[in-house]
Amino acid sequence: MSTEDKVEINKLPTGVPGLDEIVGGGLPEFSFNIIAGAPGSGKTTLAHQFVFANASLERPALYFTVLGESAIKMLRYQQQYTFFDPAKLPDSIRFINLSQVVLEKDLGAVLEEITKEVEKANPAVVVVDSFRTMVRKPQSDMELQSFIQRLALFLASWQATTFLIGEYAEDELRDNPIFTVADGLLWLRQTAERNSIVRKLQVIKLRGQDSVPGLHTFRITDAGVQAFSRTFGLTARKRNPPGDRRLCFGIPELDKMLGGGVREGDSVLVAGSSGTGKSVLATQFIAEGIRHGEPGIVAVFEERPEAYAERATSLGLDLETPQKDGQLTILYLRPLDLSVDETMHSILDAVQKIGAKRLVIDSLAGFEMALAPGFRTDFRESLYRMIFALTGIGVTIVSTVEVDESFTEFPFSTYSISFLTDDIIRLRYVSIDGQLRKILVVIKMRGGNHAKDIREYEITSSGVVILGERLTNYQALISGLPVHFSPSGSKEEPSR
Amino acid sequence: MTAAPGMRDLARRLLAYEAVAAKRSEPVESPTLRVYEKLRQSLSGFAGISAFESLAFRALMQAKSEAPELWAVQVAAGGSLQGLGEFEPQIEMDKDLAGEFPGDDGGIILISRLLGLLRIFLGETLTLSLLRAKWPEAALNDRNSMHGRKA
Repeated sequence: MSTEDKVEINKLPTGVPGLDEIVGGGLPEFSFNIIAGAPGSGKTTLAHQFVFANASLERPALYFTVLGESAIKMLRYQQQYTFFDPAKLPDSIRFINLSQVVLEKDLGAVLEEITKEVEKANPAVVVVDSFRTMVRKPQSDMELQSFIQRLALFLASWQATTFLIGEYAEDELRDNPIFTVADGLLWLRQTAERNSIVRKLQVIKLRGQDSVPGLHTFRITDAGVQAFSRTFGLTARKRNPPGDRRLCFGIPELDKMLGGGVREGDSVLVAGSSGTGKSVLATQFIAEGIRHGEPGIVAVFEERPEAYAERATSLGLDLETPQKDGQLTILYLRPLDLSVDETMHSILDAVQKIGAKRLVIDSLAGFEMALAPGFRTDFRESLYRMIFALTGIGVTIVSTVEVDESFTEFPFSTYSISFLTDDIIRLRYVSIDGQLRKILVVIKMRGGNHAKDIREYEITSSGVVILGERLTNYQALISGLPVHFSPSGSKEEPSR
Repeated sequence: MTAAPGMRDLARRLLAYEAVAAKRSEPVESPTLRVYEKLRQSLSGFAGISAFESLAFRALMQAKSEAPELWAVQVAAGGSLQGLGEFEPQIEMDKDLAGEFPGDDGGIILISRLLGLLRIFLGETLTLSLLRAKWPEAALNDRNSMHGRKA
């Protein structure tokens, strides 16, 4: 069938930030939907958000309550959310209680009551909360199926988009006729994992359009339900093809080692043990960008933005002025129950707000610690999605990672995430001439050639400064216990 | 503890508004009962009969402690009010009552207590919205209505 012959299905905004992206642009108009989940998972709040986003005087919303939470208490709590607009009550959003008819009569009478109200109001949206309590009385499968069928047909023919809210268990999915009739099925889950609550949403079914598969994190805040798509809202955006532009650290010798700088849109990992200057290097990267008119974001997890900016000042880098000028945002992401998706959305919002070109994540260990324990298991996968999404829109990322210093190994990361990075810079301590000195090496650059040199560096009041030429008189430098060769060529004991 | 002055003022306005219609009705109806019934219909439809019954019962208990003349009044099944006739004849029904409903009688106290509970649970804005929907022509047009000042 050609595009012109197809019926056009309007998509209604859900009123839930992030959910439109997940359901493929909005919920289909006139669809018959189920919002399922355990008590307290946010079903009623989500339905209210949809209702407030779509109800109007001409096409109001009818909100049928049954047994359970009374409308008075429901409204008492719902009006605390910022989406709640009291001006819409009672004309655009009408609450109708069906308890009496449900308690005293049969499903036929319930349908009759709903029919009467719908015919009277001509609503755009109908919610039944909770549908589960409406059909709790014992009845035959045929009676229930017939009721659901008639209800769905009636509401669709009245051009109403419908939500039935229910507390269902996942094992009911197969046998309950309501799930067969429904056009859309949103399942909200919440689990307690150690000290955190992890909330996830899944679009199990949505007729007529593509939705983003999988489990999406959501949170209930003062603004109501907020969903975080696994695709970070970037599905509609084109990936930028990798360019040839190089982004410098502002450390001439290092930039030379990198073949002129990091390729724009790369993900760079700066790995080293504590005190090797990872954060200093990352700060210099951001400051150099600002000097060249490239706005930046620093996501810090281990220190407060003020402390971060103060430390930069001690290196002669002014991060206060660019923050005031909107060239730099230092994000402090410390809560201990974040999901990667939420963190990502905070970063992405900041990136879009100031048009950031450079992003520093300092550090991945801090990032992981800021996540709820349940999300840490998915850290690598989530990080992959995040880096892929950000670099895809042309942001160049420098992430720092602390590695355990070993004098027998040379690990790049404790996370086995090297595959996520285009470039790796490794910093480490080395024992030379009775001193603990520092060396730096570019391990990998996906976009081209880089120096193979191992260079000594120091952290001075101007930041990272690379000293002299490459260290040619030592062997096994990366072990941390190098062997010195005298000018005559004779081998000496490891330098300690 | 007595009903808040703002609630009394609002109740007085509603009763005064209904008093005019009550005077014309045949047989003459109680303004208190007219206001109460409108609230009952509106709130039962919106929140359910049980929810209304609970609120009405609580409001009546509060009102009785303030207005002993309500002793015979009861909230019956379905939330309707019974026994109001015991004190209602005290109200002068043949006077033009618009805007000047008599002082602190039991009717005003009962309605103000009911409105007070609504305000506690729903807040001023929503309570006024619900009242405006039921009494579109009464002067309930701003939040001052609940603070004892005329709109």
